[in-house]
Amino acid sequence: MKLGVFYSELRGNHDVLFRLKAEKLGIFLVSNGIYHAIIKEKGEPSPVLQKQGADYYVLSEDLQTRGFSTDEVDSNVKVVTYSDIADHIMNDYDKLAWL
Amino acid sequence: MGTLTIGVFSSLIGSMNLDFAVKLSEAAADKGHNVNLWLSGNATILAQKGQKEFLDYSYLIEKIKSLQEKGVQVGACEACSEGRGIHAGDVIEDITFIGMDWYVAKAAKSDRVLHIGVE
Amino acid sequence: MSNKILFVVQRPPYKSENPKLAITHAMSCYTADMHIDEEVEPTLAYVGDGVLNCIKDQKAEEIYGIVSTDQHLKIQLTGDMKILVCKEDMERLGIQEERLVDGRDLGADMDLNVVTFEEILKEMDEGCDHLMFF
Repeated sequence: MKLGVFYSELRGNHDVLFRLKAEKLGIFLVSNGIYHAIIKEKGEPSPVLQKQGADYYVLSEDLQTRGFSTDEVDSNVKVVTYSDIADHIMNDYDKLAWL
Repeated sequence: MGTLTIGVFSSLIGSMNLDFAVKLSEAAADKGHNVNLWLSGNATILAQKGQKEFLDYSYLIEKIKSLQEKGVQVGACEACSEGRGIHAGDVIEDITFIGMDWYVAKAAKSDRVLHIGVE
Repeated sequence: MSNKILFVVQRPPYKSENPKLAITHAMSCYTADMHIDEEVEPTLAYVGDGVLNCIKDQKAEEIYGIVSTDQHLKIQLTGDMKILVCKEDMERLGIQEERLVDGRDLGADMDLNVVTFEEILKEMDEGCDHLMFF
């Protein structure tokens, strides 16, 4: 399964996310999920970014909406636009989940 | 080109998920994909006529009309709407006012389904 | 070709309408052929805190006047809908199998299937065409 997961919460229930497995896993950080790409709480990157083998994306428009810029984003996360997301979900992932 | 069906259950006001769904629908439609947009639960408020624009609140009516012009099919859950006092005559023109089976049928025949089943 | 949708519920009942909408949307698969002339087969899966939807003897109808989630689940069991419940999450929350809804009083032959998260992952991977998380 090539699974694209949308994550939109800062303090959400990460438990199901941590247990998901897929041959190809993409995690799209949108809405309040974008904070995982930015905030280093107590100096540590978000546990949401620790999923082995996953490709991470963060929505540029939602970063800017919340006062952040692309150069603040964790180096493991690719900044994407709505247009890019449309391409990724139609081309790279066969199933999608908004947690 | 493929078919993308997006289902949203979040409120028009108090959540930005509908804004997300509308923007993603627009991006996919602009690329030539067929897009279906399903409004269920609290999202059915978006289907109701007579919304007034305030700068502090999401206002998506014009976007919905623009999506429809791009060929996006928009459906609103009849039961969820009626339960909220939104009847067939209250629904914006060209929004399909219909049962949940419309959505799952659209989803079943789509290449991709993004279901935003949260508030 | 059968079209299969897996409805995954990960949140507890009542605080939000959406866990119940997972059931009603799953039910609606049985009439989807009115629109596409093909059958759509639903499966429901309860994971994380969503397993709390499956506790029996809910009294929402008596107290709040709305059909309780366990009643909805019983009805789906009488219609032979496949319903999976995550074993690890039940254990984590201290829920014994005897606390789960069954549809025997309504004549259901099927019970909820308590399965590992790995089996639910397999259903996500091989048992469906699309996912709908609630």
